[in-house]
Amino acid sequence: MSDQRSKPQADVPITGDELVETFPGYRDEDDVTVLERPGRSAETVPCAEVLDPELAGPLENDLYTHQAAALEALADDENVCVATSTSSGKTRIYALQIARHYLEARARDAASTAYLLYPTKALSRDQERSLNDLYDDLGLDITVRVYDGDTERGENRRRIREEADVIITNFAGVNTYLHDHDRWARFLSACDLLVIDESHTYTGVHGMHVAWIVRRLKRVLDYYGADPQFVLTSATIGNPGAHSSALIDEPVTVVDEDGSPTGPRDLVLWNPPPKDREDPSHDERDEWRDDEDGDGATSEKAPADDVALERVPATVEAPRILSHLTYQDAQTLLFTPSRKLAELSVKRASKHRHDNRRYYANPDRGSAIEPYHAGHSRTNRHGTEHQLKTGVLDGVASTNALELGIDIGEMDATVQLGYPGQRQSFWQQIGRAGRGSRRALSVLVAEHRTLDQYVVNDPDYLLENDVEDAVVDIDNDAVFAQHLRCAADELAVDESDVGAFADRDRLERAVEMWRRAGQLRGHLETGVSYVGPPRPQRSVSLYATTGEEYEVRLADGVDERSDPEMEPLAKERVLRDFHEGAVRLHQGQQYEVTAVEHGAPRPSVTLRPTDVDYYTRTRTDVTVLDAVSEESREVGEFTLHFGRGRVLVYHGTYDKVAVHGGKKREQGIPTDNPPLSMETQLCWLEVPQNVEDALIEKYRDVSVPDLEDGLADTAHLGYAGGLHAAEHATIGVAPLELMVDKRDLGGLATLTIDSHLDRAVGREGGTNTNTDADADAEARNESTFGAPGSDDAPRNIAAAEATVREIAQGLERTPASGWFIYDGIEGGLGFARAIYENYEAVAERARDLIADCDCGNVGGCPACVMDEQCGNDNRPLHREAAVDVLDQLLGDADEGALAAHRPDEEHGGDRRPPLFYA
Amino acid sequence: MTARAGATVLALPPSAVADRPMATLEDLGRTLEPDAVWVLGPKREPQAFARARSAFDAPAFHPPLETAGDGTLHRQVIADSSADETGGIDTEPLEFAVTPNLRALEATPTAVSSALADRPAVAALVCDDVTTTVRPTALETRLEGAEVLADALPTGTVTTVLTGSEPAGYDAVWHLESGTGAIRGVDHEAIGGVEPLAEDCVSVRVRGAGPTEGYGNSRSIATLRLTADGVASVETHKVTDFGLEAVDGIGPKTAERLADRGVTTRADLLETPVQTLADLPGSSPDGARRMHQHARVLETGEPRRLTDDSLPGEDWSTPPLCLDIETDGLSPTILWQIGVYDPASDSYQAFVERSDPSDPGRVLEAFCDWLLGVHPNRALLTWNGWGFDYRHLGSFIAKHVPYYAEEWESVPKLDLYLWAATDEHALLPGRTNKLEAVADALGYEGAGTGLDGAQTAAAYQRFVRTGEELEWERHEAYCEDDCRALWHVYERLRDAPRADGVAATLSSAAGSKTTDSSRSGGRSTQSSATATESEPAESRETERPTKRSANADETEQTGLGDF
Repeated sequence: MSDQRSKPQADVPITGDELVETFPGYRDEDDVTVLERPGRSAETVPCAEVLDPELAGPLENDLYTHQAAALEALADDENVCVATSTSSGKTRIYALQIARHYLEARARDAASTAYLLYPTKALSRDQERSLNDLYDDLGLDITVRVYDGDTERGENRRRIREEADVIITNFAGVNTYLHDHDRWARFLSACDLLVIDESHTYTGVHGMHVAWIVRRLKRVLDYYGADPQFVLTSATIGNPGAHSSALIDEPVTVVDEDGSPTGPRDLVLWNPPPKDREDPSHDERDEWRDDEDGDGATSEKAPADDVALERVPATVEAPRILSHLTYQDAQTLLFTPSRKLAELSVKRASKHRHDNRRYYANPDRGSAIEPYHAGHSRTNRHGTEHQLKTGVLDGVASTNALELGIDIGEMDATVQLGYPGQRQSFWQQIGRAGRGSRRALSVLVAEHRTLDQYVVNDPDYLLENDVEDAVVDIDNDAVFAQHLRCAADELAVDESDVGAFADRDRLERAVEMWRRAGQLRGHLETGVSYVGPPRPQRSVSLYATTGEEYEVRLADGVDERSDPEMEPLAKERVLRDFHEGAVRLHQGQQYEVTAVEHGAPRPSVTLRPTDVDYYTRTRTDVTVLDAVSEESREVGEFTLHFGRGRVLVYHGTYDKVAVHGGKKREQGIPTDNPPLSMETQLCWLEVPQNVEDALIEKYRDVSVPDLEDGLADTAHLGYAGGLHAAEHATIGVAPLELMVDKRDLGGLATLTIDSHLDRAVGREGGTNTNTDADADAEARNESTFGAPGSDDAPRNIAAAEATVREIAQGLERTPASGWFIYDGIEGGLGFARAIYENYEAVAERARDLIADCDCGNVGGCPACVMDEQCGNDNRPLHREAAVDVLDQLLGDADEGALAAHRPDEEHGGDRRPPLFYA
Repeated sequence: MTARAGATVLALPPSAVADRPMATLEDLGRTLEPDAVWVLGPKREPQAFARARSAFDAPAFHPPLETAGDGTLHRQVIADSSADETGGIDTEPLEFAVTPNLRALEATPTAVSSALADRPAVAALVCDDVTTTVRPTALETRLEGAEVLADALPTGTVTTVLTGSEPAGYDAVWHLESGTGAIRGVDHEAIGGVEPLAEDCVSVRVRGAGPTEGYGNSRSIATLRLTADGVASVETHKVTDFGLEAVDGIGPKTAERLADRGVTTRADLLETPVQTLADLPGSSPDGARRMHQHARVLETGEPRRLTDDSLPGEDWSTPPLCLDIETDGLSPTILWQIGVYDPASDSYQAFVERSDPSDPGRVLEAFCDWLLGVHPNRALLTWNGWGFDYRHLGSFIAKHVPYYAEEWESVPKLDLYLWAATDEHALLPGRTNKLEAVADALGYEGAGTGLDGAQTAAAYQRFVRTGEELEWERHEAYCEDDCRALWHVYERLRDAPRADGVAATLSSAAGSKTTDSSRSGGRSTQSSATATESEPAESRETERPTKRSANADETEQTGLGDF
């Protein structure tokens, strides 16, 4: 290994073609695509053309053109967003701008400070070192310090506030520190530059919180007379300018002409072999074959399109490739979708060697492979980073924790266990291999699921299309209102905030709302103060979790030395991965969860070390209950509702899965978890009966083989597939029309909308057009499962589904069919509301997306109606039926388009199955 | 505040009743002397109610259980005319009309109007499920029960509705359209009386008596002062400030163990040998001694010094100047009054912005001129100044009179609260560490302005907005009162005997006399010299609230009230 590290210009020790040739066992050439991506040479500008001699002098290398362009824009007092590739020297841009400000300030005997905001603590410490090193090299006395939750309290913190020139922190920190801004007066008054690093990570819920924290920070900076410039650095995203401007509420100059060099890259798209063609010498074979046979009814992603062709899972194949590459002296980084798989992959990589001793004569060669993820302690992670950089490690299996710019040196190769879901993320990850002009190798191992299969079969999707837009929403009133309380706590909110913080109407309404709730006091003319419970900043949850954390404890009587020293866990993770009986692998040690305490005041998870040959995996189901319409409107013959309801997420049972081979040892074991219940906002569309009748008839011959629940041949399936597809597409295109992130949305297509509604609400004529506060309150009291917030939700999905079906049986009128779209966050985020208000525009986009997609599949593709997050593994989906529904909604269908399919009066007696699909 | 006209109602959440030893409840009764005890609804808690009835001499009521059964509303007598002891101005009887919940109110709207017709004897309607609900996605706050209230309450007049579902201190007048309950407007500042919006409007003054979220148990119980004019004031108390648990080092567990030994009051505790207390699980000889000391302080009202350290500034040739500021809110835009009491000359100086509130600099400049010019070598003294007064003065001087910023930084700033409570140099009598409570317990006779920080801030805001003049003398007297109260506490502490043996163990962290001299070196030296200086504020950044951080939080919220 060490030889490789000392020859930075050498190419990767193994090319894509060589990988295909040398990998043990037969691989069909149709299953592997090797794409050669050409390199790009550097375009540079001499430092002296851009920088003053004092800075240009000590710099050894020229500037890349994009660095020069950014520095010139900054010299013109512009805000800049640099959106170029990984390791293209983005840090250097703001580092040099800080140096410029420092020198200018020094010349007039003043101070200049800079505030650097990184997405992770690990990144902060990494950058602290390299910035301090740079300023040492430049001979500048600029002190760079990290100040975050890990910074020692007391005197140390005070000294940093009062002395550091550059402070590195994160947005959770800024949110908290703003409360005590007077203690930061020196630092804030002198602030000339604000840097938002890896700004593309601020999307969705997190992004909108960040946008408001930036606005609060700007108010306080303004109070101290500071008006800093902004530098945002971003991975390549579709909309760097719009996204940056939304974050900072100022115009931004985008620099995205990348002048840095890239080496050529072999990009290998690797579809694992079909199971029965696998080399019979592998002893895993029998185990995994059993695994996939005959249990398509599990919630696991089952093969969708071609039952005859079952492939080896990427979770098995990718660690083999990792193992193979490190054996060939290529230092390799494997990206896994979960912490669990990071741990497991290390074991499997080792097993691969030992199972193929005939091929790997020296199984210990290149076998120093470690897992890496945020569940490990900082010291531990730092050790792994260092060992990667120095070449001590041959490989690492990591979650996306290593996707961001932690300095781990230059890798030879990356392997991706499954497609990461976004092109932006895909490119960011493979950028970890082959820095500089070296030839690099990147292998994408497709998971056996539709999205991955689509990508390996259609490489153009990766290579030619634009990357996604990062979405950030500042129109969300719920989030705005939270930050308004914080702002009033920091500095009185007054007339000067009109326009700058929010427009007058919005500000006045929000102030009045909080005044009526007893949380704000005063008037905009004279200043509004916060008078609610202390520190409103604390109630801001930047990731929109419930804010409830679980402490991890060791069981009584267990040796302290086996303490996993894990960070506290969010409630969502505890429910998914740390139910009682769960077996978790942590740093190579297995732990069994022996107890979970959900109640206040200190929720906890208790673990004890164990040694078993299985791990556990939970199954997840979703349903909607007790929806109450607050507003509704007609769209043609369709009825659209907005309201509130309860979304239930169940991780109700789990399976014990063999560590080797993945065979299920035991299935459907109850987790005893409480359901994760969200009171949230929803909108839903009711399809008129005549449209439904005609479409059921039109698609009554559609069948989906192997569909769970034994409903494969039901007459309603084609139509249900249309609803399901339309639901996916509507959610999928929402960000095109609205400032929302589809990951925060969920949906449910159903043939019986009524059974998801609150039964207590009268439904004369099928609509509930006026908002009646009293009826709402009444309804909540008598809802299906008791009052909101009470803990009487059904204990498992079977109970919830049974309830839904039972309600369906007892309905007085024929229920409407259609689909729900909900905000996947407790309390809602206003997304469903926004979609309700803009439904026609969104539906139009969805319709065009489906109709124009040239995938040619009835069931669509990831580019149209398939959704990676689909809880039903994208089945059933029916594009044509979806287009028909949307055409009817939009009034675009030909007159009489459905006439041919109207069922006879006497016909149409098929019993409606209460189907619903997430 | 000194005259006991009218009556006091103690509002207790059922949890506070259920979780506390009987002796604590009895102490609560003895200390606060309520005329009636309200066990808050809207949930039916018959056990807590029964417990309250046996613990208090005063009549107790629990709205969910108060059903008259004959279609009329329960009338809870708070004070009858004969029982009033002052015999002076106010001998009217006082009653509450009590409804179990909104549903009952809805069923019998006429019962309400007939009960309320009996004003002023019926001072308020109690309805525990009247509450506000925030709907942030709609940017609106709803009043739950608005429709029912609009239907049941009289138009053209303001009716007070008390509810345990809003925190104590909540006070807003909701003007509702008769019949529909649609909101016509909400008035938030009740200073200077409240008016109905219109003749056809139902105006409901909603006042909270419930616990305040986010403060732990520190504001869990409330007392309402009632006069014939209605609810005069609402105060909050910490349930653990009564009974044995008021003593430092005694939590619910220790209190339980002591009760097992027959020790239920502080007097009992003082009769229990220190050795016995030290033998309790989790206790220590030092802790036991401290329990005794604190219990004695609470029983006798005499402060006790725990170390032999000097008071801040005690060794100076001239005493410190006692400082207090008034602002226009917790996030101030102006420090409109700065009061300074000089104990050396027994004189008081006030700097007040009466004419041009748009310029926050004038009053600061006048203050700095005087302080730096006339008293260049004096130290300042505050009560919790690092949580409020010094903090805002520093920031405002830097911004509005920057030429004085450096000088201001170097003025020695002392804080008696920090020294006594945070740094644990003394034990103070008084149920809370608010200046008013401590000074009161130490026998300070206040001016009785009837104001608090929030009221004075609201009054100034109104002046800025409308030009309506404050009662300047009253508001200035309020500030002066606090400055003098501070000096009173200082003197009492100065005269209290210093502790002997324990000094070494207790004062090691804070340092001894060097503390004062180094503090005089200006703000930065002083924070670096005394780690404890920045500690309470620092710990607020942690997510784990400690005892100290809880104090600091409280500090900042009650800053206007001179904590």
